[in-house]
Amino acid sequence: MLDGHDRVTGRIPYVLNFEVPGMLVGRILRSPFAHARITAVDGSRAEQLPGVSTVLTRADFAPQTPIKGVYGRVFRDQRVVAAEKVRFVGEPVAAVAAVGEERADEALSLIKVEYEELPAVFDEEEALKPGSPLVHDPRPQLDPAFSSLVGNLSDAGNICSHFKLRHGDVERGFAEADFVFDDTFRSPAVQHVPLEPHVTVAHYANGKLTIWTSTQMPHAIRAQMASLFNLPLTRVRVITQTLGGGFGSKGSLRLEPITSFLAWKANRPVKITLRREEEFVTVCKHPATIHLKTGVMKDGILVARQVRALFNTGAYTDIGPIVARNAGSAMSGPYRTPHVRIDSYAVWTNVVPAGALRGFGVPQAVWAYESQMDMIAERLGLDPVEFRRKNIVRDGDHYATGEKLEGVHYEELLRRAAASVNWAPEEAYWRKKSFAGSMSASQKKVHRGKAVTLVIKATITPSTSTAVLKLNADGSLNVLTSSVEIGQGAKTVLAQIASDAAQIPLEKVLVSEPDTDLTPYDQQTSSSRTTFSMGSAVVLAAKDLTRKLMDLAGEFMEVSADDLTLREGKVEVRGVPERSLGYADILRRACRGDLIGEGAFTTQGGLDLETGQGIGSVHWHQAAAACEVEVDTETGKVMVLRFHPSVFAGRVVNPRLCELQTEGSTFFGLGQALFEEMMYDDNGQVVNRTLGDYMIPSFEDGPLELRVTLLEHEGAGEIHGIGETSLPPVMPAIANAIYNAVGVRIKDLPITPEKILRGLKEKNIAEVQHF
Amino acid sequence: MRQIVKLKVNGLEKEVAVEVYQTLLEVIREEFKLFGAREGCGIGMCGACTVLADGKPISSCLMLASLAEGKDLVTIEGLADGGTLHPIQQAFIDENAFQCSYCTPGFILTTKTLLEENPAPSAEEVRAYLAGNLCRCGSYVKIQQAVLNAAARLRGAAVR
Ligand code: FES
Ligand code: FES
Repeated sequence: MLDGHDRVTGRIPYVLNFEVPGMLVGRILRSPFAHARITAVDGSRAEQLPGVSTVLTRADFAPQTPIKGVYGRVFRDQRVVAAEKVRFVGEPVAAVAAVGEERADEALSLIKVEYEELPAVFDEEEALKPGSPLVHDPRPQLDPAFSSLVGNLSDAGNICSHFKLRHGDVERGFAEADFVFDDTFRSPAVQHVPLEPHVTVAHYANGKLTIWTSTQMPHAIRAQMASLFNLPLTRVRVITQTLGGGFGSKGSLRLEPITSFLAWKANRPVKITLRREEEFVTVCKHPATIHLKTGVMKDGILVARQVRALFNTGAYTDIGPIVARNAGSAMSGPYRTPHVRIDSYAVWTNVVPAGALRGFGVPQAVWAYESQMDMIAERLGLDPVEFRRKNIVRDGDHYATGEKLEGVHYEELLRRAAASVNWAPEEAYWRKKSFAGSMSASQKKVHRGKAVTLVIKATITPSTSTAVLKLNADGSLNVLTSSVEIGQGAKTVLAQIASDAAQIPLEKVLVSEPDTDLTPYDQQTSSSRTTFSMGSAVVLAAKDLTRKLMDLAGEFMEVSADDLTLREGKVEVRGVPERSLGYADILRRACRGDLIGEGAFTTQGGLDLETGQGIGSVHWHQAAAACEVEVDTETGKVMVLRFHPSVFAGRVVNPRLCELQTEGSTFFGLGQALFEEMMYDDNGQVVNRTLGDYMIPSFEDGPLELRVTLLEHEGAGEIHGIGETSLPPVMPAIANAIYNAVGVRIKDLPITPEKILRGLKEKNIAEVQHF
Repeated sequence: MRQIVKLKVNGLEKEVAVEVYQTLLEVIREEFKLFGAREGCGIGMCGACTVLADGKPISSCLMLASLAEGKDLVTIEGLADGGTLHPIQQAFIDENAFQCSYCTPGFILTTKTLLEENPAPSAEEVRAYLAGNLCRCGSYVKIQQAVLNAAARLRGAAVR
């Protein structure tokens, strides 16, 4: 990475390090109840404490004030501080700004809040039962921009959104099928745990709000903050620095509203840094229950799939409906399936609001369908790799969304993945050993198993990125973009793309930090879209810039611009390299201090809410995973011996960074496969809120061997983002490999040693009874 | 209750007034304005706050500032020799052993002690020694390469 020096000397300017003179420290008082009516809030004693500048409560957003304090991207259902009700344990109820952290904490303890507890619901299935407590009653106001995402669901109880996909005739498909499989798979809440917590510094002065914040979406934050404060966009400035990780958690309004209102009320800059425990009540991955019904012919051809998927979006919507749609649209996986019927719901409950997390709903979907693929293969007596090969989508196929697929590489991905672990049909558990009594017959304690899985994943479509290139008088180049450097190497990759497209040496290219006063619009840094989408915008901006340069050079050299070409910072006459003008000379002769090129890249598409038909993705991210595990039947412990992801990357801009992100996705997936889970007690409180109780993968949990295959397409101009593509297939790969090792099938994540031991015990009992 | 302590960080001594309950991490960040040590967990689990105390890596989030008096403290900012990076830092750059790099200073400092104790570690020894440092971005493969690469370099330097 270009900023490597700062990274190894500890000098990356994270927002965490940011200070403004006169800055106060903000702290948040949180609800101890999962669902309760607030009968009184009294901050007066806290306000009198010396060193306390201000206390923010619902009184600051009383109905008669112009500031409503209500926000939310899809539904306006969130409040800066709770008003009538709290809906999850940890919801912000009040906040204070004080001279230091200790004083702020003391002030929190003096705020008096009275609650009247209400019945709560935590589970997504329970929430849909008649008579279940209603989380939002009446339904919150829907942002009109999202009406096509949610539909008219006036009497839907706790259903937040409902995405439907209808393709073919699923009833007919099941009638024709030789076998029908019906299984349920569950994924729990997990936390992103970026090592840098959420941090926001806000300052409100002279009618302008300035926010330095750890966000993946500076422009979206600006727009929503402007609407919260009733300000024009020019009066809100959002500045982002390099982030210490995000994984989706820093993608919506988080600390920005509460910090900004504290700063506004205190008339002083305020900084809030979340503590690790607070991260766990701020956002998480959607817990999901997925019912998967699949019809298949004896020869292993898939004919029908029906899915009912429930995504538990928690107490507030955030982007739950988009997650439910994104996952729903790809639930037939990378397989030809003529008849598909999908119902994918986002559901409100009284748990921590879920949001984007690396993979955006697809990991939950792939967990279900790739686990089931191996179960079906066994039942049909087919090699699971061969079974997949028979069914994978190919160029020219129509996907379940109706769109035609091009640039499909599953044959190659599957071949490479299988080869990477020396897969052979005998690796399947039921082929490996005599079926019955195998475990009890063998005295072996440790068993090995392998597996291969696939994924198909959309990138967010439609979407927009813009970039501005500013060529300076000395021939150096500023790249102004709002893409956030989050560890993925955005600055490095964009600099490489700009350098290449504008023919300016890399060391003369500098990529800016996002600053909404200066850098142009970008929708978001997420969904593995930056290299592709912002990269394309940078290329367009470079074209615009170099066209201007060639026009000027043509005038000066008295040749037509068509006869000119670019080389290493110079415009030269085609075929006559000695006739050339350097970029700096062109600017000098044109009496220009700088020259600007602009580029905007947009993709079109979208899916119909009632049928799921349309354009789901401008291109589809494709990957495979292969692994070998070792399972200890005495302890239930799983060791991942090797893990080999294979990813289609289109044209690779920076192989090292592609490898890093893919390796990162693998570790991220291993944690989710084997141990990560937010645990709730009966009152809806997350109990494992520290890194002492909530484990994330360490060096010792990793595979002993991890080799990434980047599949490049010869001559492909197109760049594919790969930030999250290889995560979803990790969990089912591990589960299937465990099955192939010891014959235990786990359908709810994570696959803990206890679950494996229980499975072994049940299996042994079943086998003994069999005899 | 405040007390005055004399702390020596990266070779420079400074008297600071600290609350008795303040951690070394807070004081290094707030009083010394050195931001390379960072809080990741606050309870000694992640290693992002690692500094060297008399050459040994410690979690500065766990140590009270007042107890660090008299120790020779080194943070990541004190590792490079003027403009020249320490060979471990250079190896981390060469292998691109980071993504967000929030964890990087902790890994580099722990590696320094590892390689002093064991100049030629095996891959397993590297993993075991660094198991107390967490990298959420999952840069482990490249970190392992960087450590092995740094070990080879330092051995080369020692031989010369
Ligand atoms: S912050 Fe000290 S070990 Fe995590
Ligand atoms: S590089 Fe992000 S935590 Fe290690």
